[in-house]
Amino acid sequence: MAGGLLQIHDPLKPRGHAVGIDLGTTNSLVAAVIDGKPRAFAVDEDGSLLLPSVVHYAPDGSVIVGARARERAEKEPTSTIASVKRFMGKGPEDAETKALGAYRFAKGGSVVRFQVKGGPPVTPIEVSAEILRTLKRRAEAALTGKVEQAVITVPAYFDDAQRQATRDAGRLAGLEVLRLLNEPTAAALAYGLDKGSQGRFAVYDLGGGTFDISILELVEGVFQVKSTGGDSALGGDDFDRAIAARFLEAHGLTSPDAAAVTELLAAARTAKETLTHQETTQLSALGKSFPVGRAEMEAWIGPLLQRTGVACRRALKDAGTTREELDGVILVGGSTRVLAVRKFVAQLFGKEPLRDIDPDQVVALGAAVQADLLTNRERQDEVLLLDVIPLSLGLETMGGVAEKLVPRNSAIPTAAAQVFTTFQDGQNALDVHVVQGERELVTDNRSLARFRLTGIPPMPAGMARVEVRFEVNADGILSVSARELSTGVSQAITVKPTHGLTDEEIERMLLDSIEHAEEDVHVRLLREQQVDADRILHDARKQLATFPDLLPEDERREVEAAIARVAGLRDSATDSQALADAIKALDDLSRPFVERIMNRAVGTLLEGRRVEDV
Amino acid sequence: MRCWNCQSEVGAGDVCPVCGKVQPVAPGTTLFDVLGLPRGVDVDKAELERAYRERSLRLHPDRTGKDDARERRLSLERTALLNEAYKTLRAPEPRAFYLLKLHGMDLMRDAARAITVPSNVLEEVLELREQLDSARSAGDDELVNTLSDRVRVQSAAVLSTAQSALRRLERNAGDAGAKNEASQALARLRYHHRFLEAAEGSDEEAP
Repeated sequence: MAGGLLQIHDPLKPRGHAVGIDLGTTNSLVAAVIDGKPRAFAVDEDGSLLLPSVVHYAPDGSVIVGARARERAEKEPTSTIASVKRFMGKGPEDAETKALGAYRFAKGGSVVRFQVKGGPPVTPIEVSAEILRTLKRRAEAALTGKVEQAVITVPAYFDDAQRQATRDAGRLAGLEVLRLLNEPTAAALAYGLDKGSQGRFAVYDLGGGTFDISILELVEGVFQVKSTGGDSALGGDDFDRAIAARFLEAHGLTSPDAAAVTELLAAARTAKETLTHQETTQLSALGKSFPVGRAEMEAWIGPLLQRTGVACRRALKDAGTTREELDGVILVGGSTRVLAVRKFVAQLFGKEPLRDIDPDQVVALGAAVQADLLTNRERQDEVLLLDVIPLSLGLETMGGVAEKLVPRNSAIPTAAAQVFTTFQDGQNALDVHVVQGERELVTDNRSLARFRLTGIPPMPAGMARVEVRFEVNADGILSVSARELSTGVSQAITVKPTHGLTDEEIERMLLDSIEHAEEDVHVRLLREQQVDADRILHDARKQLATFPDLLPEDERREVEAAIARVAGLRDSATDSQALADAIKALDDLSRPFVERIMNRAVGTLLEGRRVEDV
Repeated sequence: MRCWNCQSEVGAGDVCPVCGKVQPVAPGTTLFDVLGLPRGVDVDKAELERAYRERSLRLHPDRTGKDDARERRLSLERTALLNEAYKTLRAPEPRAFYLLKLHGMDLMRDAARAITVPSNVLEEVLELREQLDSARSAGDDELVNTLSDRVRVQSAAVLSTAQSALRRLERNAGDAGAKNEASQALARLRYHHRFLEAAEGSDEEAP
């Protein structure tokens, strides 16, 4: 295969295959470009291309990912984490955290931590890393080679904290994250390159938990994102909730428990899916039934769709274009299967949306294309992707007002600087608060980080000039630096993320997971050998007691010694290999003895007695 | 200037013509230089888009050496500057503010305080804001739209005044009258902007 040879000689691609990963709220996929075409791999145990983004923590400490994990959600709702993407980069007090699901959260800290069985609380980053690890393993199996680099997609509307969290999850899973790619951009990339076309596209991406709208333009090999918008807390899961709410209302249920909510949401989801090919259906849950019609559901989710419409109109305006100037509308995300959504989009943009590529796969395929563009030197000249920052970045100023430094939809990479001064004589420190969002007041925006500039030389008030510089890289991730202009002294800033993990925390988790991975394998092997030991000890002792006459004295001593050795190692061994060796020795020694027993059993059978009676 | 990598003469180019490495930004480079466009009030939009694409292909971190830390750094800086130039020069208003800044008057910064806006302009702005607030609290979207439209029409006229003053200033940098006129007009435009932002804000919050 040409691709294989190239990778060996290509200095840009020193580390195996580069894949594209769609880390979705509901499902996740992995894809790679093979022989010039992107292809998604089977990732779940049943051969499905979609890995349900569900992680189950079992009481014995093992972790299950995918459909098998989802099956356990009903019985073990608190130890089975679904839609973890919604918690990425969130703090424990975020309103959304409390509204979501039946989870139990560990108290304290700046990051959400789920209390699960079989181990200490886990952060959304660790849960996501489990999903990524599974995808990585399956891709390695499909490609029969190592996978160490990936382009991971994120909703365009993800803020800095959510992006950081996604990147950290990648690192934790042992992946070098080549790029965080906005999902709608990835979808357009999959379409754009396939068709080799020029033009202006809108990408309407409604997933399980997020909504994104992007306006892109492909001209002369440059794929330029003109604008992007959306809602990071709106998706198909909200349709399920809207349906479930009507069910509860109709049956007068006010405070269902966690298990009931899980069951009801699953049933609501089935009803929603059935309504894509049927006019009516029955929602059955909690031993009750509830009729739902397509038109009714459309009415219930109408307000949610209207919310997407507002974002679409704003994105068109930000891009300086109109719906008439669009060459196509691309649908992405499983929730665009809902007929009401398609109807709404066609009406909103005045044209039928494109659906040539499976909306479930299109994002992963686009990510694979970008991974190939970034690592395959042969393709370096094909298409350049120019993305934008989705939300404005700013600083808190006097009176709690947010001052925007980098407005939303600025092309990335980008940089901006702001000069601060001191307001007291001799002031030697300055507090800086970085926020992201479009609102005027700091409290209405998202707090990204707070830090303190120290070591400002003593000067009269208003004389010091501290320049704070923002830099946003091609992943849309922010870094901050500061310099005192009059002295030229640079400031080392430790940015403590408001909701996220520090580099040290990630590093520690990474080390822990590697140690644990080795430890886990070890423990599992030893446990398997202990089970084997129990079986062979039981058999050998029984045989010795039942057929003492079949074993000459010298052989008997040898077998007894071997039994003692296995029994001793079974309880004391930390090395599975030593126990395995002892088991094999006992097995070999007792083989002639067992043969004699078998012979006698056959003989007894011939005498008309049953083996079991012996 | 000489290339930091191979010492060849690079002139004002953004990449070395010999070894192809991205070069640091020369002092005194304007955003017009960054895009290779003639400095002025008016810009050929098609030419601007073409220049932006062409330079992105040459300078973007995805396209330049990934192994060389210095080139990576320069590529990031150059691309950030290119993006700033694109954003600033694409639309006539930020372009006008930038030209005035090149003449030493940065209205986005401290200099704004140095401008005395005539009291009748301030009164007009305050009255508009009051009308907007009451229209908003009454939920009268139509009135909000009417007020916004009125401000947009005024903005267009004010921008055109600023532009003709800037054209004179570009021909003769010593024309203090032109500079003052451009400053006054653009300071007024800032008030209009804030008004429109506030008006749109109320629009977005409506369900």
